[in-house]
Amino acid sequence: MKLIEIAEKLQLKNLTPEIKPDPVTDVQWGYASDLLSDVLAGASAGAVLVTIQVHMNVIAVAANVDLSAVVFASGRRPDETVIKRAVQEGIPLYGTEETTFDVAGKLYKLGLRGHRA
Amino acid sequence: MKVFAADLHVHTALSPCASEEMTPPAICRAALDAGLAMIGVCDHNSAGNVAAVQAAAAMLPGEELAVIAGIEITTVEEVHVAGLFPDAAAACGAAREAQESLPEVDGRDSRFGEQRLMDPEGAIIGAERKVLHMACALDLNACVALIKRYGGLAIAAHINRPSYSVISQLGVFPADAGFDAVEFAPMPYAPALGFDLKDLGLPVLESSDGHYLSDIGSRFCGLEMAEPSFEELVLAIRRSGGRRVRNA
Repeated sequence: MKLIEIAEKLQLKNLTPEIKPDPVTDVQWGYASDLLSDVLAGASAGAVLVTIQVHMNVIAVAANVDLSAVVFASGRRPDETVIKRAVQEGIPLYGTEETTFDVAGKLYKLGLRGHRA
Repeated sequence: MKVFAADLHVHTALSPCASEEMTPPAICRAALDAGLAMIGVCDHNSAGNVAAVQAAAAMLPGEELAVIAGIEITTVEEVHVAGLFPDAAAACGAAREAQESLPEVDGRDSRFGEQRLMDPEGAIIGAERKVLHMACALDLNACVALIKRYGGLAIAAHINRPSYSVISQLGVFPADAGFDAVEFAPMPYAPALGFDLKDLGLPVLESSDGHYLSDIGSRFCGLEMAEPSFEELVLAIRRSGGRRVRNA
């Protein structure tokens, strides 16, 4: 499933509308974690990360792992400097009021799976 | 210049996870027995026993132990940041602000451990009312800024630890966070980071992060400076005026 379809189906708020959505790539993997050392060690390239961690390092880690997007759950929102960096790095960011558990469940229902790097 | 052995991260019985044996006089005795000239008292999210340990050190007959006022704040990212301050009042001021968002202790919290406030003789004089084992509402940048506002040094605590460290929580070391130093605690954790944690361009302080008397001085650093005082410690960390940090 394309990222843009996922965002629509989950009614995610697009925090980085400046980034043009990738029309080709299917997202296959999901990862849920708030410990960025764990994301670095465990998340697969192309995965969507669901997290409540809003520190700037989310962007560095997302770029390093080559995540396809980051979804901030439970109403957490990174500040503007984080969003700016994400736009520079081309990492799409989304926000939702739903919890990590619910977002992960919905992603699973859409066909995404967990996958450890 | 002389080299002073310093263990700048020691808990007291105020920290719920620390042993009840960590009374002000027992800590001072253990520090001297370990050959230390300076300790830092850094309880979780509180500085309520700092003055008592300083008073206990002042009562040591014929022996000198410098006690630096400190705190170990848990940020909203669950990163532990140690702050070292010019005096107990500054540490308590920073603690008060860090604690604002913490809930009051209720019956369920006792399973995390007691939070004992003590006098210089080691008698229990009360209990901290805020839950100290939890994360404060401050993010990492706000926490470092708070410490600086009270004239303190901000230290990335036990960055070699697989939990509650900058590295475990944030994956990579944020070079712009404003830390004055990084701390290594005695544990074998060696994450596959592709770089040496000691190579961050910041002074490395080796500390025990002691929660038991036998921990005190189990890891320490040498501070090359004129005298064991906070002002000299600042110079050593800034590598200024011929002062510096030397590790064993």
